[in-house]
Amino acid sequence: MCGIVGCIGRGDDTVNVLIDGLRSLEYRGYDSAGIALGPTLTVLRKAGELDALAEVVDANEPTGTYGIGHTRWSTHGPPNDRNAHPHTDENGRVAVVHNGIIENYAEIKSELEAEGVTFSSDTDTEVVPHLIARELADGVDAETAFHQAVDRLDGSYAIAAIIDSTETIFAARQGSPLVIGVGDNCTYLASDVPAFIEHTRDVIFLEDGQRVRADAEGYTVLDDNREPVEVDIETVSYTAEETGKSGYDHYMLKEIHEQPTALRQCFSGRADALDGTITLEEVGEIPQPDAVQFVACGTSYHAALYGAATLREMGIPAEAYLASEYALSPPPLSLGTLVVGITQSGETADTLAALRDAKSRGVTTLALTNTVNSTAARECDHAVYIRAGPEIGVAATKTFSSQLVGCNLLAEELVEGQLDLRPLIESLRNLPDDVQSILDSSAAEAIVEEYGDSDAYFFIGRGKNVAVALEGALKCKEISYEHAEGFPAGELKHGPLALVTPDTPVFAVVTGDDKRAQKTLGNIKEVQARGAPVIAVTDGESDAAEIADETLEIPETTERAAPVLANVQLQLFSYHLADALGRPIDKPRNLAKSVTVE
Amino acid sequence: MSTFSAQADSRPSSAVVLAAGEGIRLRPLTANRPKPMLPAGTRPILEHVLNALIDAGINNIHLVVGYQANRVRSHFGATYRDVPLTYHTQTNQLGSGHALLQAREGSTDSFLLVNGDQIIDSRIVEAVRTTHTDAAAALAVVEGPQAADYGAVTLDGSEITTLSEQPTSGGFRLFNAGVYAFTPEIFETLETISVDRGELPITDALQALIDDKNHTVAGVRTDHFWMDATHAWDLLSLSRALLRRGWVDPPAIDGGDCYVDETAKVHPDATLVGPVVVDSDAVIEAGAVVGPYAAIGASATVGAGAVLRDVVIDTDTSVGPNTTASELVAGQGCAIGGAFTAAGGPADVVLEEQVYPDVDLGGVLSDRVEVGGAATLEPGALVGPDAVLGDGVVVSGQVDAGSEVVR
Repeated sequence: MCGIVGCIGRGDDTVNVLIDGLRSLEYRGYDSAGIALGPTLTVLRKAGELDALAEVVDANEPTGTYGIGHTRWSTHGPPNDRNAHPHTDENGRVAVVHNGIIENYAEIKSELEAEGVTFSSDTDTEVVPHLIARELADGVDAETAFHQAVDRLDGSYAIAAIIDSTETIFAARQGSPLVIGVGDNCTYLASDVPAFIEHTRDVIFLEDGQRVRADAEGYTVLDDNREPVEVDIETVSYTAEETGKSGYDHYMLKEIHEQPTALRQCFSGRADALDGTITLEEVGEIPQPDAVQFVACGTSYHAALYGAATLREMGIPAEAYLASEYALSPPPLSLGTLVVGITQSGETADTLAALRDAKSRGVTTLALTNTVNSTAARECDHAVYIRAGPEIGVAATKTFSSQLVGCNLLAEELVEGQLDLRPLIESLRNLPDDVQSILDSSAAEAIVEEYGDSDAYFFIGRGKNVAVALEGALKCKEISYEHAEGFPAGELKHGPLALVTPDTPVFAVVTGDDKRAQKTLGNIKEVQARGAPVIAVTDGESDAAEIADETLEIPETTERAAPVLANVQLQLFSYHLADALGRPIDKPRNLAKSVTVE
Repeated sequence: MSTFSAQADSRPSSAVVLAAGEGIRLRPLTANRPKPMLPAGTRPILEHVLNALIDAGINNIHLVVGYQANRVRSHFGATYRDVPLTYHTQTNQLGSGHALLQAREGSTDSFLLVNGDQIIDSRIVEAVRTTHTDAAAALAVVEGPQAADYGAVTLDGSEITTLSEQPTSGGFRLFNAGVYAFTPEIFETLETISVDRGELPITDALQALIDDKNHTVAGVRTDHFWMDATHAWDLLSLSRALLRRGWVDPPAIDGGDCYVDETAKVHPDATLVGPVVVDSDAVIEAGAVVGPYAAIGASATVGAGAVLRDVVIDTDTSVGPNTTASELVAGQGCAIGGAFTAAGGPADVVLEEQVYPDVDLGGVLSDRVEVGGAATLEPGALVGPDAVLGDGVVVSGQVDAGSEVVR
């Protein structure tokens, strides 16, 4: 999914209008962005979030009186500068932005290459500016050149183009959305109405096959025979943000509710429940490593802790490192070590630096990421995708759940000769429904009502649930701004217990009924003795629910799958706490979705 | 909120879909989701409705959601098949007219209105879209025996002359298929109507338009496929009808009537008897015989040696080995132990103190029912969500949500 914008008639405001428009389309993708301005054709584009483009724009102060723009969620071709839109012809006379897929691009590309055209990106889109340039070279006028080029295309597209010194924007719709905004002496184009809703509410929804010519005089809608057609202008009244959130109050809540779907996608086609095998096709042949080092930051680091604990249980020495520390204080490694970087965006600068350090020392690297062809995916020897879909809320939710499943799949792929995997596969297959059952019945909101005005919140767990405790605390502080800390349960008495009071609820993650669970029950009593209320996040297998003051229940499952479920309860707690406190949940202060600086 | 877009050809291209109602008569299957999200084959009813609209050329869809709205939102998101979806919340379900009013804001052009819980052929939508020109409203009219449930209609040429909610004479006659086209004037009409019985049905507004000499209401007669599931057992006939038509998502194997998603795993020693659909990541173990008329949902499991025919097994449900089930509806996330038996109807089903005689129903398991080994469902049994049926129990009649049946 990508977003395109365009505007003409706004004079010196053009750049701001385009950038603001792209910002409201970020839900359609945010891993590269660009703009092109006329009448003197100027193109600026940049991999990374829109802010990266905004910096380039600030530095270059481009000028123009009309232009087009694009924000991209990469599916084919990595999200780097050269694949960012707009794309141009060889002479830089034509700039094009495109959303959709041009199915016959390979055929057109080889035809153009045979004529001597040099391509400078991996995208399907780039054939369009070259086609237009070829028509122009044949001497036809700009508009005819655009129509002739579009006539050649098969597939789905919304396209907008500008041509040097032609004070016009040309656009076409076939299968991908494109709307016109009608302003006072100006015209807007976009994939979706939010891009220009702050400037005009008068909108034309184009039909497939229609094309647009917009210039200083206004706009004309044409049919695919290039004949002008009458169109109706409608007045819309929705606010920009609502569209992408499907009616949820926040992206975070939407993404929490998307977890059953995300987990299903992560797991789909990767396990054979009949013969009990797990296969990650992306990894191919990778020998069993002597040791595994995970590098990651923030929430992904908590997934790394879980992954390392899982591999250690399987007999593989494994550690999780904070990427920012790893790059500067690299631990020793042998050549048989595999270094795994976990990064949602695949662009986290600290994680990239750590992976590069590992690579420079000659070991195999692997990226576990949500973003196809991201920098991490391209630079590492292997990439495994968690397939969670775009995550827009700054606080990671569904991607953490999918990272945990990804760690399981990776561990089983890497380590040979495991016992019967069917129980694990069964529990991973059941995760979507187990998560759904929590979403259907969670008591997290009631816990917030009861304890939402406390001094601080502590989270404890043992084994893989340490990762859940740390993640629960991070989520809580990120979005509620309340003081929260997570600890391995046994560490409490070595210091943090001094902080525990009747006004500091303790969330104890207790799953199963093994030694770790039993010991954690002891820790629950420890904090209760200091007057702290305890909320057990538990599957009911141990006595945690009976001992604790409150319970957040999760379905019974395997020891590997339980942390995913416990974490969902804590996500809901943090969300409802932040909501009750009126925090800006999707955009917490000082934080950014993907941290691309070290 | 957003507007309903009109096109150069003036046919409505927007639709309002009513998906806010629970579907009380489908309880206990609707404990966690509204009726439009119940399975038709292996996909929600609403998914079929949206497909019909989009196939008929609708490119802007407004969903009125209410009961368990998040289930609709998280399933479909902001767009479906590249068509933008705008959600409108109806906090209290006060009838279809009230639901439509929730989607009023900013509407300036003609639009369609359809029910999100009834399966319609896209040609019905197309016919209403095309017919709606001069009349104040148009509605699709189908002939069948269901007039008593959906409102009988009389036509004079192409004009509707009477609508009667509960016709006195039964039998085969014309009835309202719940596919409408309106101009924005309908909102003003709705506002003039007094609310009776705490509800504002859209048919009251239609009646007002019929009574008003200045307006006509066009009836669009069609004989294309239309089907509603009123009771849980109707999900079986709905699934059968869809399977017969091949209205399922996965591709047909070798051009036959076994539809299997490419991520599903079917053991080479299992037998599929068409028509049958097996959705994504479902597993059919060795020796199982599945079909005819079996809908196996995404990530569902059919255990070794199980024999299933005429069943709807929803997403994530696992059916134990050596189960024999016929005319069974199982909701999401059920865990059914081995050697389970649901032999099929007919049965007399009692619902809300009403007896439905001779229903072809083996039984209904709602979401996340846990069934022990060798349990038996007597024909017509209805088991509520999260109930636990112990080993070897024989269950008949109704089992309440969350209850445990030990013997």
